[in-house]
Amino acid sequence: MKEVNKSVPKKDGMGLTVGKPAYTEDLAPQNALTVKVLRSPYPFARIKNIDTEKAEKLKGVKCVLTYKNVPRNIVTRAGQGYPEPSPHDKFILDEYVRYIGDEVAAVAAEDEVTAVEALKLIEVEYEKLEPVLDFERAEGHPSIIHPEKEAHEMFPTGFNPSKNIAAEYHMSFGDLDKTLKKCDYVVSERYYTQAQNHTAMETHSSFAYVDINGRLNIVSSTQTPFHARRIVGEALGLPLDKIRVIKPRIGGGYGGKQALHGEFLVALVALRTGRSAKLIYTREEVFEATYTRHPMRIDVTIGADKDGNIKAIDMEILSNTGAYAEHALTVFMVAGSKTLPLYNKAEAVRFGGKVVYTNHTPAGAFRGYGAVQGNFALEATIDKLALAVGKDPVEFRVQNMIKEGETSPVFKIMGEGTEGVDMTVDSCKLEYCVKRGMELCGWKDKYPRKQIGKNKVRGIGSAIAMQGSGIPCIDMGSAVIKLNDGGFFNLMVGATDIGTGSDTILAQIAAEALGVSTDKVVVYSSDTDLTPFDCGAYASSTTYVSGNAVYRAGRKMKGLIEKAGAERFGVSKDEVEFDGEFIRTKDGRNSVSLSQLSTELYYSNKQKQLMVCESFCGEVSPPPFLAGFAEVEVDLETGKVDLIDYTAVVDCGTPINPNLARIQIEGGLVQGIGMTMFEGVKYGENGKLLTNNFLQYRIPSRKDINKLTVEFAESYEPSGPFGAKSVGEIGTDTPPAAITNAIYNAIGVRVTKLPVTPEYILMELKKKMK
Amino acid sequence: MVKVYRPSNLKEALEIISSEKCTLFAGGTDLMVKGKSWSGLEPSFDRPVVFISDLDELRKIKINEFFLTIGGACTFTRIIDNSQIPDFIKEAFIMIASPGIRNMATIGGNICNSSPAGDCLPLLYAMDASVVLESIYGRREVNIEDFILGPGKNVIGWNEILTEVRIPTKNFKIRAYRKVGTRKSTALSKVSFAGLAEIEGEELKDIRFAFGAVGPTVVRSRRIEKKIVEMVSEKKLEVGEIKKMYGSIIKPIDDQRSTANYRREVCLRFVENFLMSCKWR
Repeated sequence: MKEVNKSVPKKDGMGLTVGKPAYTEDLAPQNALTVKVLRSPYPFARIKNIDTEKAEKLKGVKCVLTYKNVPRNIVTRAGQGYPEPSPHDKFILDEYVRYIGDEVAAVAAEDEVTAVEALKLIEVEYEKLEPVLDFERAEGHPSIIHPEKEAHEMFPTGFNPSKNIAAEYHMSFGDLDKTLKKCDYVVSERYYTQAQNHTAMETHSSFAYVDINGRLNIVSSTQTPFHARRIVGEALGLPLDKIRVIKPRIGGGYGGKQALHGEFLVALVALRTGRSAKLIYTREEVFEATYTRHPMRIDVTIGADKDGNIKAIDMEILSNTGAYAEHALTVFMVAGSKTLPLYNKAEAVRFGGKVVYTNHTPAGAFRGYGAVQGNFALEATIDKLALAVGKDPVEFRVQNMIKEGETSPVFKIMGEGTEGVDMTVDSCKLEYCVKRGMELCGWKDKYPRKQIGKNKVRGIGSAIAMQGSGIPCIDMGSAVIKLNDGGFFNLMVGATDIGTGSDTILAQIAAEALGVSTDKVVVYSSDTDLTPFDCGAYASSTTYVSGNAVYRAGRKMKGLIEKAGAERFGVSKDEVEFDGEFIRTKDGRNSVSLSQLSTELYYSNKQKQLMVCESFCGEVSPPPFLAGFAEVEVDLETGKVDLIDYTAVVDCGTPINPNLARIQIEGGLVQGIGMTMFEGVKYGENGKLLTNNFLQYRIPSRKDINKLTVEFAESYEPSGPFGAKSVGEIGTDTPPAAITNAIYNAIGVRVTKLPVTPEYILMELKKKMK
Repeated sequence: MVKVYRPSNLKEALEIISSEKCTLFAGGTDLMVKGKSWSGLEPSFDRPVVFISDLDELRKIKINEFFLTIGGACTFTRIIDNSQIPDFIKEAFIMIASPGIRNMATIGGNICNSSPAGDCLPLLYAMDASVVLESIYGRREVNIEDFILGPGKNVIGWNEILTEVRIPTKNFKIRAYRKVGTRKSTALSKVSFAGLAEIEGEELKDIRFAFGAVGPTVVRSRRIEKKIVEMVSEKKLEVGEIKKMYGSIIKPIDDQRSTANYRREVCLRFVENFLMSCKWR
């Protein structure tokens, strides 16, 4: 392997570093109208009356949108494949507002000052309704958040809006109760996770204009340009051939930009005024009015026999999807489907629960996508069970965890919203990951605890995790490769680089398949008019799904080049080969450079354009695996926990670009650490989000992370491009369990509610001392 | 639009503020946030602004056997980089915010902002620091405890500039400064604490505790400090009783950053551990 498993620099790295205009806001026309949104000050209300006359008369205001003058088509903004597993429950604008931050109206004006001024001139009379703010009391609450008759599910998902239930699902195999009864050790615990925010550095942004042919063009910081085209068309009642969506460079997505945000509004303004219009979210809007991680309550019970063999697992979840149900069912299902197979020898497994509506900011996709919540609950309970059985928790995991060549009944039963697919894990180096991780972190020396000073105790904890590689049989990616004169290639992909470096690794895969060097491949991605389809950047799919499409296209193009060479030499195709620079006959008599051949193909000899298109839709979703180890130091005087060291050993198959794979893991770890230790979410009594800026919502700083050690296991996934699996999400999964396990090992306090706070630790320490 | 003055010396600055009510702007790290509206728009100021961060008279640091004198417009970075200032004083400044903020924010600004969570305040209270206020009519020196009245409230007049902070250069053998925040930098304090003790042989000469972010102003009690010295001299130190006394004057609140219970508990633990670590027993 010449071009893959190689850390070539990110193609757009230098341009972004020196600040070239590249992001949505950089590219918006100078004279674009500024769109601002009036947002609801109430968690739940009906708009009795809305008067926009004064705002419309303000000089510089070009357009005011309310529910009265926009199309009323119910959609889901989730940005998923079609038909979506999320219910259709959102109008562009509605007479009901369902959370503090929900859209009431939009103003487009010549500049930002005028737009803000105009918002103040809109007079709204609200009928305040009793909000549902406690998700544990949402089901059957007298307030029904979605009473509208148009709301519907696309296929059976347990949608029952009259009870505030967005989705419901149950599965089981084996006889759980009987099996648990036979177990020698049974432990249970209840966990809570919070509504973490993605905190992408670029806020959600979009602009739109109508081109010379009367077509609507939308430029958006989106992870899913093709889904965005479909959903905008559906919401606006516009034929899809009238819409083009372009994704420029993106300043981070993490799932937060899978769903639509400002696209409907800028599109409507552009169509109504004929002017280009932009909507750049403020940080406060990102916090209050985009999406969060689904907060969950998770109950786990696990049973083992006297030798410590896990026999039964029960996981029951209540998930809070907020005011709209983007990703409600699927995030909740992934909490089980991407954790339960880890312990595949269990004879009886039960999983189920409900996803409820509340009057909070909607939850949506977020790196880890349920797996991180499920992993926290499962892996913390595994530690608890190991202690009950009397085993070192790492040995206990190794005894019970899934191994290469094995399968789990869960794979077939559970997919994302539908049934899953039967598969064996053909690459799984989890045992190596655990063993190597123990060496790197010094487990044997450090487990379970060490007193460091009078008031300082260190503890070490572990967790293992799995993710997937795309949604099998649903998500498709495709690639076009075109040969140019001079012997270079265009690679056109729908795949969506959101800062991950996917353009670079897809070019590497194309180059390796063609046998050329990566700099001969020019990438253009994510433009619904010019690139072939791709589901987008989510579900850990780009390297595996889009990468396989690119691999196929590269191999096919290599064949076309050899065929063109054979025609030029007048021999059969079998007699020529392409080595990356020259096309030669195998007997060595004839050769021509690719540069010359491609130029001849354009201008002088058997002229034609060589171009291929290939698609890939996975039949399986090979999971990457990770073993994580956290070392913490607890200050007994203040209850503060410092993270000293985090070690992660990863099996992602072949890392196509080891540097880019490493920063995917490191970034994921930091987001998981933030969720575990720092990112508290607080609401006022009326449901107002108080932690709506970077001063109140605290992501970890460089000083808080200390040492991260990331290593990759040698692994080869037979179904992946050059042996690769996904790497984007799995880094996020282990910190909640590994860190809270480490805290338990240090001081005997089990944290079951995230984030960990010194307030909680200190009070628990005090209780223990009594 | 806002009127802006950039005086070239202290006298000029004092003359400007004696003729109209102005906002004094040193580092601006609090003012720029207070006046903030939408991103991308300039912050608003309701009065003319006088920039004083460049005035040489306010940027001096002097030390002699009695006092450490720090000019009001000295930035935290300037204080940290000064070779004459003792490390235990610097420590309170090193833990504030982030390098960018420390490069701009000034000691005078931090004091005049008078936030209960101002990170340098507990140490200044414990050190018996005072501030010098100057106007065209002259100068006065005010003890820091008398200067700050409550959150954002203090005794400075419209025509005055805080020109100097004077800290008695008393030596303390035992010193502790602690700040508890949500993360290690760029986080407002949940609790901050300064503890100082001077011991000669077995005798406790002086002990001082000051607590930040647990009340409308920094909490310090000379009465309890005196009681501790008495108890130690009579060899009857009752740590439990001292904690009870502090418990009755430390009355924090629940807010977004932390809880009242936690704050009080941590303060009392600081006191207890500080007393336990002193070697007179």
